[in-house]
Amino acid sequence: MNRASTAIDNLGRSVLRNVEEMGRILLLFISVLSWMIRPPLKLRLIFKQMEFVGVKSIFVVVLTGIFTGMVMALQGYHGFRMFSAESLVGSTVALGMTRELGPVLTSLMVTARAGSAMAAELGTMRVTEQIDALSVMAANPVKHLIVPRVIAGVLMVPVLTIVADFVGILGGYFVGVPVLGINSGIFVKNITRYVDLDDIYNGLIKAAIFGLILSLIGCYKGFNTSGGAEGVGKATTEAVVLASISILISDYFLTAIMF
Amino acid sequence: MIKIVDLHKSFGKQKVLDGVNLEIEEGKTTVIIGRSGGGKSVLLKHIIRLLKPDSGHVLVDGTDITKLNDKDLNEIRKKFGVLFQGAALFDSMTVGENVAFPLKEQTKMKDSEIRKIVADRLRAVGLTGIEEKMPSELSGGMRKRVGLARAIAMHPEIVLFDEPTTGLDPIMTEAIDNLIIDTQKNFNLTSIVISHDVESIFKVGHKIAMLHEGKIVEYGTPEEIRESRNPVLVQFLSGSTEGPIKII
Amino acid sequence: MFSISSEAKVGLFVLVGLIILGYMSFRVGEYGFGLKKGYLVSAVFDNVAGLEKDASVQIAGVEVGRVEDIRLEDGKALVTMRIIPDVKLARDVTALIKTHGILGEKYVEIVPGSEWETYLEEGERITSVERQADIDRLLAQIGAIADDVKVVTTSLSNVLGGEEGEESLKSIVRNMRDMAESMNRIVEQNDEKFSTMLTSLRNASVQMEKTFSSLNEITAGINKGEGTIGRLVKDESTIDKLNKTLASLQQITDKINEGRGTFGKLIHDEETADNLNETLSGINRYVTKAEQFRTFLSYRGEYLFDTSDAKSYLELKIQPKEDKFYILGIVADPRGRRTVKDTTTGGVTTRTEEWERDKVLFNVEIAKRWKDVVLRGGLLESTGGVGIDYFAFNDRLQFTFEAFDFDTDRDPHLKAYAEYRLFKHLYLSAGWDDFLSDEGNESPFVGISVRFEDEDLKYLLTSAPIPRD
Repeated sequence: MNRASTAIDNLGRSVLRNVEEMGRILLLFISVLSWMIRPPLKLRLIFKQMEFVGVKSIFVVVLTGIFTGMVMALQGYHGFRMFSAESLVGSTVALGMTRELGPVLTSLMVTARAGSAMAAELGTMRVTEQIDALSVMAANPVKHLIVPRVIAGVLMVPVLTIVADFVGILGGYFVGVPVLGINSGIFVKNITRYVDLDDIYNGLIKAAIFGLILSLIGCYKGFNTSGGAEGVGKATTEAVVLASISILISDYFLTAIMF
Repeated sequence: MIKIVDLHKSFGKQKVLDGVNLEIEEGKTTVIIGRSGGGKSVLLKHIIRLLKPDSGHVLVDGTDITKLNDKDLNEIRKKFGVLFQGAALFDSMTVGENVAFPLKEQTKMKDSEIRKIVADRLRAVGLTGIEEKMPSELSGGMRKRVGLARAIAMHPEIVLFDEPTTGLDPIMTEAIDNLIIDTQKNFNLTSIVISHDVESIFKVGHKIAMLHEGKIVEYGTPEEIRESRNPVLVQFLSGSTEGPIKII
Repeated sequence: MFSISSEAKVGLFVLVGLIILGYMSFRVGEYGFGLKKGYLVSAVFDNVAGLEKDASVQIAGVEVGRVEDIRLEDGKALVTMRIIPDVKLARDVTALIKTHGILGEKYVEIVPGSEWETYLEEGERITSVERQADIDRLLAQIGAIADDVKVVTTSLSNVLGGEEGEESLKSIVRNMRDMAESMNRIVEQNDEKFSTMLTSLRNASVQMEKTFSSLNEITAGINKGEGTIGRLVKDESTIDKLNKTLASLQQITDKINEGRGTFGKLIHDEETADNLNETLSGINRYVTKAEQFRTFLSYRGEYLFDTSDAKSYLELKIQPKEDKFYILGIVADPRGRRTVKDTTTGGVTTRTEEWERDKVLFNVEIAKRWKDVVLRGGLLESTGGVGIDYFAFNDRLQFTFEAFDFDTDRDPHLKAYAEYRLFKHLYLSAGWDDFLSDEGNESPFVGISVRFEDEDLKYLLTSAPIPRD
């Protein structure tokens, strides 16, 4: 009896904690929005973050995209061959990339690369009192640190996603046509036939939302770091875990709404 | 100048400040001493409202800063300069950019003017011509001095020093102490220094306050403090393990 | 070292991304651009199993459109298709559903018609629909054929199977061999007789030839008008008579066609046809109206946290059309309504504010629905106001925002809430009432409501005469 009540107690506490955290992230989002519309925007800081989140993630995103497309083509081929429908491999790869894998894998990669870096960077700034120093010098830390990162996330993840979509389809093509011997004309024709503009655009909207999620959570975790170097490590891990989970869960709901 | 009235603050169940009352005199250096983790830094953060108290007031020139909105708070903060414990230089900026930061944020000065002030402040702390270095290339003592240069860049009225000599060798400690005294005189500052370095305390302080268990237990000139019979002070100054201060 | 600024790198990267996006959009949207502007035609099929929205519409294997929508109409499938504008469909085209390969997806094939004077216009219907030997039917037929084959083979195996059959087979073979042997013998023995037989056969055929040639001569005689038959056939007057008979027949049908004579008039009178059409459409309209006409009764109770009181709504929703409805309701609000009274006594105006607590408030609204959004307006809680509802998850979840009680001396009454259908007739809601209130009236609330369709009320209302629209 006692143990049961303790368990319920703990469960309740953890639910409360999570709800509270969600609320804090939402409040942070609102304050980011309110600072975003207050000029002057720190353009130099935004571009610096865009370079970090976007340009420097190209390599890892292209690599992920190409191999995902290749694997999908290979797997799809073995499945479709049973029904003599190998010609559908191209459209499967293209639909899979544009709708789901492009946005999700890109944002997961960016989470691992840039989201974690955001948490670590802001976490370090927090524990070395650099964030306090900003406040003291009448420079709002949300405006200086978080707004550029969130803007960079929202703008860059979709651009990375379109690159991932494209190289993924390209990867599928290189496996499908020369290696597996699917007719190249049919491969391309089926892609253009089954993939809609909406598939691509909805995928990009998803990517923008994921970009928001990963940058916001990365910044939130970093911003609220406490406890020295260990705290920074913890914040980084938590940021990656929470952002990845949030991306996957929100992906389900976004898919349910969009398609 | 600064008046702290019945300040309370607890984190969770732990009471850190339990009714602090303290008046800081203008144009003097006040040293707040106490054990590590005894709430000195917390008290300091309340003075510039990096933390909000549970109850109590902090009056700066008669204004209660615990109730200000962001805009008015920023105005008050312009009177302050802060030297943080680890100097808190921005890693992503050069030394020059660090010192120039408050000037760029809060004033509309031209770049050439800013450069002049930066050079001047760096000279004041004895570091000429290191504007292009990154903070990671500097030693601990140099970082502290750059931090001080940044703190006085805006020519503030009040400068807060959070453990300025912690982690420095005796020679550098001596140098920093001298720097605190010099800048206080040259810029006619009201300084608040937090420290537990007994030698420095008596050297730089015009007034000394002892914070113990969330309260100011003793306040006076260095002479008064030295002769105080308060067992807490006696134990703290002698560095004894026996006494009212418990070692946990 | 030469270094590129982050602005330039980011700009270049975004440019590359936009180029890729543009390229992909262009490739994917080849039809997309034309299609968005295309026109809609529809067709009714018995069965469209496997046909999806956005499936291809083709003529001779060339894509000319997409399936826009599939809906049920009178137990059949109404398929709406969007056709690209530069493709014109003749009025007598035939639509049929086909399959790509054995497992491929379904698409609509349009077989061009022959009437090229008029074309199908936006919203018109393809009347000719054909059932295609789809894979299901093909398989069923193959199955039937296989059954037949099986019956045959079964009887065969009954005949041939077993020792008895084998024995009889053997004896047949033996008999055949014996027969062949004796035939051989006969031929050998009667060699001479055979050759005389062949000779007489040849002579007979020569005779036949002669007979045919004399027959030929007789028919030639008839042709020339010789002999009795010949004269009859060749007589001009006979032909004339026949021609006249045919001509009068032609006249009669012409008259009918022109609308002369009783029968002709009946068939040709436009009024008759109009009358008939109108009668039919009138019946149609009435029936659909009664079908569409729906009425709902609902009760909703809202528990307001701040005043610890409940607000009640009793509403009747009358829905004459699927996308249009009226709401009549009464509201009991425990907080009451504030009324301001200005009384002037001796030049001094005093303003008194009163809270009427027992007053019943009225909702009278007209609402129109577009897809998932309902806009409504009218009287809300006895004051002018508007509301908007958004439906999600097949109408299970409803988000509502209402604004009313616009008054110059206070903030309008705003209310926002979400309602979720828990069971068939039971709804739960939560929201925030009067959240702009400057009178301390704002309160979060949770509510429960019961809503059901009232069939009796519907017939009561539809039996009353309905004005024609």
